[in-house]
Parts: sequence; C-alpha cells; structure tokens
Amino acid sequence: MSDTDRLLLSGNEAVALGAWQAGCRLASAYPGTPSSEIVPALLRWADKLGGHVYAEWSVNEKIALEVASGASMAGARAMVTMKHVGLNVAADPFFTLAYTGVEAGLVVLVADDPHMHSSQNEQDTRIYARHAGVPMLEPADSQEACDFGRLAFELSERFDTPVLIRMTTRVSHSQSTVRAMVGRQEREPGGAPLNPQKYTMIPAYARARHRLQLDRLAEVTAWAEETTINRIETGEGKVGFLTAGIAYEYLREILPQAPVLKLGLSYPLPVEKLRRFREGLDRLIVIEELEPFLYEQVRALGVEAERLPDAYRLGELTPARLAVGLREIGVESETAEEATCTEEPTEDLPPRPPVLCPGCPHRGVFYTLSKLKTLVTGDIGCYTLGTLEPLRALHTCLCMGAGLSQAHGVSKATEGGQKVVAVIGDSTFTHTGIPALLNAVYNRGSFVAVILNNRTTAMTGGQEHPGTGRNLMGQEAPSLDFARLAEALGVELVLKLPAEDLSSLEAGLKQALAQEGLSVVIVEGPCVLQYRVRGDVFGVDGEICAGCGMCLRLGCPALVAEEHDDRQWPRVDETLCTGCGLCAQVCPKKALAPVSSRR
Amino acid sequence: MLVSVLFAGVGGQGVVTASDLLAHCALGAGWDVKKAETHGMAQRGGSVVSHVRLADRGSVRSPLIPEGQADYLVAMELLEGLRALSMLKPDGKAIVDVRTIMPITVASGQRQYPEGLEERLRERGLVIEATAEATRLGEPRAANSVLLGVLSCFLPLAEEAWRQAFEGGFKPKALEVNWQAFLLGRTLAVARGK
Repeated sequence: MSDTDRLLLSGNEAVALGAWQAGCRLASAYPGTPSSEIVPALLRWADKLGGHVYAEWSVNEKIALEVASGASMAGARAMVTMKHVGLNVAADPFFTLAYTGVEAGLVVLVADDPHMHSSQNEQDTRIYARHAGVPMLEPADSQEACDFGRLAFELSERFDTPVLIRMTTRVSHSQSTVRAMVGRQEREPGGAPLNPQKYTMIPAYARARHRLQLDRLAEVTAWAEETTINRIETGEGKVGFLTAGIAYEYLREILPQAPVLKLGLSYPLPVEKLRRFREGLDRLIVIEELEPFLYEQVRALGVEAERLPDAYRLGELTPARLAVGLREIGVESETAEEATCTEEPTEDLPPRPPVLCPGCPHRGVFYTLSKLKTLVTGDIGCYTLGTLEPLRALHTCLCMGAGLSQAHGVSKATEGGQKVVAVIGDSTFTHTGIPALLNAVYNRGSFVAVILNNRTTAMTGGQEHPGTGRNLMGQEAPSLDFARLAEALGVELVLKLPAEDLSSLEAGLKQALAQEGLSVVIVEGPCVLQYRVRGDVFGVDGEICAGCGMCLRLGCPALVAEEHDDRQWPRVDETLCTGCGLCAQVCPKKALAPVSSRR
Repeated sequence: MLVSVLFAGVGGQGVVTASDLLAHCALGAGWDVKKAETHGMAQRGGSVVSHVRLADRGSVRSPLIPEGQADYLVAMELLEGLRALSMLKPDGKAIVDVRTIMPITVASGQRQYPEGLEERLRERGLVIEATAEATRLGEPRAANSVLLGVLSCFLPLAEEAWRQAFEGGFKPKALEVNWQAFLLGRTLAVARGK
C-alpha cells in the first residue's frame, strides 16, 4: 500500500483508517450493527501499517466510553464505537464529558440504523449532539469517513471537546474508493494531569465547565463558517438544498446540477454560510434522513425552508424514495419518472425472513418454551428470532438486558400469579443483565432466568466476551462462570442444561417453573456458525414417516415440507443439516435418523 | 458510462463475495466503484441483495441503485430473482441460476413456492443451470462464478481484470475451480447468443 493507492473500503474500514492516521492508540466498543467492524479494522490497520493500538470489547457502551475517556485524559488519542442505541447506555458519561473536555483527542463514533435493518428502533443520534453540545461530523462516503476520522481527533484537541462522528448503515456498510496517506501522527501519552477543576464534576467546578462548553461551541461555530467541509456548491436554478451524510449522495444522483450547501460538520451549524446560501434562492429544501434535525434549526434561525413530507421521517431514504418525495413537494427529476413507472408490479411473494440457523442451540429451548406456553420476556440477540413462526416462543424485546427486569416486574405485578421466563444471551447478560439479575434477587423476584450460553456474541458476527475465555487482543482471559456468579448473587436454584437434549430442557424448565422465587437456568451449547459445529446429517425414512409435521414445528431451515394427501412430508436438505438431532427427538415415529446409521 | 448491477440471493449463498469480485475487477480496471449491502439479520438465511455501481469516467454518487435502474440482475435463486425484478430497467438483463431454496415460510407449510418463475425470468434474460454446471466441475459453491462469467460477457471489462479480481478474492485452493467456472459461464453466454 502506498500513498497513491486507490482502495475500495467500507465506511467502517475507512473511518478506522482515519483514526489510525490520527494516531488513535486506544479503541473500545461493545459490538452493535452497523458499527461492529470498526475496532477490529483499526487493529488490522495497525497490524499492516504499524503503530501501537490497544483495543477491547468492553462489556457495554457506557464502560467503553469511560475507558476511552480515561485514555484520553492520560494523553492517548482514543475512540469508542457503538450503534445508535448504545449511546443511550453511554449517555451518562457522554453528557458530562462535554463539560470536562479532553487531553488527547476523544472520538465517539455512533452508527445509526435508519429502517432498522438490525435494530429495535431508528432513533436519530444527531439530536444527542445538540443536546450534549458536542460537535458532530457526518461522512457521506468512505473517503469522507477516512478524512473525518482523522479530522475528528484534530478538532477534539483543538477545541478541548469530545467529537461525535455520526454514520448510518449505508455509510458504514457501503464501499467506495479511498485515496489515503499512510502517515500516522503519533502522540505519546504523558499520563493524566491532577486537575480536579477540569475533571472532578462537583457542582462548583461543573458550573464553570458548562460556561466554557458554551464558549467552545461558539468557537466551533466560527470554525464551521470557515471550513471547506461545509461547502456551497453553486448550480443551476433557484431551488437550493441543505443536506449532509448519505442523503447528499442520493440528492446528487437525482439532481446533479442543483445548488447545494453540503455539511460535513452538521453540528453546530454555520449560520452565516447558511444565510448567504439562502440569499438568491427562491426555495431552500432540507434533505435529511429520520428526524427534521437540520430543518428545525434552520427554521429557528428565521430562515425560510421546506422539507419532505412527514412520511419521510420513517425509514431509510433511497435515491428513488427521495425523488418521489421531492416530486410531492413540486421538484421534478428523471429518477422520479423512472421510479414510478417500473414494469413489475409488486406482488405478494412468500417472504424470506431471517431464521435461527440449522443446528442453532437456541432452537430446542424455544421449542420447549412454546410447549410450556408461559410468557417469555426476551432480549437482544439472535434468539430474538424465537419470536417468529413457527416457534413463536418469545413475547418481548425492548432493549439490552430488559428481559430480566420485565420478568421481575410482571411477577411483582401479578404477585407471582403469572409464571414468567426471561431469556437472555451470554453476551447480553454481561452487558446489562448482571445488575438486572442482582436487582431481581435482592427484591425477592419470582421467575425463571434462562441464560443462553452459546459462547459468543453471535448476532453481530461472533465477537469475544467475558464468558469466552479470550479478549479482542487475542489474549487468554478469565472465563466468567455464570453458575457461580448466580450463586454469589444469591440465587438458590441454578441449573445447567444441555441445549441439544429436549427431555432435559423440558424437565429442567418445569422444575424451575415449579420453584418459588428466582431460579437461573444456564443452557449450554456453542453457536454452530462461530464454532463450525457439524455432525452426521439426518434423513427421513419415507416408509416410517406418517407426515404428521411435528418436526416442522422446530422451524429448522434444513427441514423442507412437501404437501400432498393433506399431510406434510418432510425432507432433509443435506447441505444445510448440521446433525443436531432435534428433529429425531420430536418425531413420534422415529422416522428421522443419521443417514450413516442406515448405510 | 454508469453500470448498475444488483446481486440477489439467500443469506449464505455468497451474494456479498460475488459482488466483491465484480467491484474489485472494475476497481482494478481503473473505474470508480460503489457498493452497498446490509449485514446482520440478512445473513441468517434471509433475502440478501448487494448493489454494485461502476463508472468508467466520472464518479458514482449513490451506492444504492434507484428502483428500476439496474442494468443487470444476477440472481442466485429463482424466488429472490423475482423479488428483485422491479429493480431491473425495462431493457435490463437478468442472469439467474435455476436453483430454488425454500424460505421458512414455505418449508414450514404456511405458504406455497410460486410456480412459473423460470419462465417469467427467462423473458427478462438468461436462466442458467449454474449450480448444476458448477457441481459437474466438482464444486457446487462455484455456481456464482458461472453467473459472473455470464455477466462478464456483457461488460467492457477485460478477462485479465477478472482474473486479477479472482486471484485477490479466492484462497489458492478455491481459485482454479472458480476460474474454470467463470470461463464456463463465458462459454455458456456465447452459446446463448451473447
């Protein structure tokens, strides 16, 4: 790789390269789509190009941000990455760090997920920037992700503030070309200063820091007026656009010649530049995904502006959707013509939702829970898929760690009258489940807490966590013993059950449900994807199978039904079967067996 | 010239890998490239699409292809081909493997897999027995390389650029069978009048 190489990078790889160039020495994160790849990418850049980088999977985003803030205070440039909802968890340190400021650059990277490709809400992180008074950069493609990744550290040190980089799924996971320098600006950490007026936020010191924070925002606003990353692109016509991030690329796709004020720093706003741009335009239209964040600020300045109809606050913009939205407010484009006259009618095709993998260790638990017909409060992870047909055995999903506390609330409200099972993954349990379990034990809760221990953070691609025995630096690490932890918290009944044995699961769960008070059931079975679990493939003996369809209730993608004579006849797709054998356990006729046993 | 290619298939079929090969081929040939897909939920056996946009001069703006503006649709499964068909230009070309993979909604007996897909897709381009051809070469997973071979006959990218992309994209032991599959795809396309 040389200075002139043109690289094809995802936004995540590119922003990691920018952070590497800026001399980032510490990166911490809890994995979350679409942000998970950034910290591993930073380690790969350091591996390839040199320079010292320490990185860790912290147990949650709050802790990750606190670790990074400590590093920054000690003089090491530091970055923390998370998905949008992670900033809710990290909001506590985030707001006050805006008062304390930094020593070495501190960058908080948050990736939003408009349309909720893999999330439970589509909150707009930009509002946090304004609420906390933290400057925010918004890259539109991988080149900007790299450039802004570097710039963020510079701004952080120059203005003594954490800097937010806001990305979205389309910026994080799209790839585009990057020309990058391979130099790195090192800064040796000199240790943290003993400076309580700056870092001890007791009321007397915090009041002074709050004032300084407002002064600093005024300085950043002055910089926003000067910088070329907020640029006016002159064009044809009297209809101009204010935009930032990926929406800028969509707008340019549709209206290549229109006048545009493109913001790279989307908070605080360059007020004078905006007013200058507005002069000479008949209409100013603000184009943004999700909330009317820029629009409301523009209007609050008394500048006349318009935006897309309210329906466009939902979900993701696409070039076609933007074109149709613009047409609704009287701006025509060729894209709108083409988007509204495609030949193919949308028809009702059988959907192909994501499913638990063949051999997934969660399947048996959910099959058993669906038979027991109790309320199951769920959590965030692959196992949330247990809510879909045909298992339908998970009834809530709110946020990380919530399932345990919701179960506790239900049991208190009904005074134990409604039996509740809470399920939580191993990684999620370490994230926010531990205090939830402690709370329930302490307050004499009565429910069954099931910890699904597949020994990885599966949904986000298989990251290590405190229960896996390894950390992100590839070191061996102490492996959390879930059973001993539960006992230490004061749980009286703690069971360990094998994920692949339906009769043990049923007996164990029934025992726990019959128990007064709180019990913990740890279901052990490794993630088949991450640990590449493969056994003998199973097959259906057509002479024995009665077509009852029991095996199909497992919702295993390796079992395919063929319907005739009013019965459902299963067939095993041998390319998908991992040999977990659950189907054989549910078959009343014993028609399913490993293929090898018949040869 | 701006060329937009949409790849569609089922999570686990290699949609992203195939689209990477096209992107790197064009990058190597000096084109501007953008590419978009979503990770996460889509990989758990769900529908997956990947957008690839290439420009020999100037730059690509949106990584997403606007509705109805894909020049080519490369589909690795019939139902996913049909699902993505509205993305194709009226005169765009579909390149589709005849393979079917039952979605869970069909496998569990709630829905029927639609009939007549092959005929409908044939009207919009080439339906290829890519998995069957790749299986004959000894590697069913090289089906995507057969489809890329067919696609390559429609694009002004030299065979050498493809070869370089394949060398960068495959581990040594998988390279040759995939390259054979690619060349087979080129032959098939020519035999079908391209």
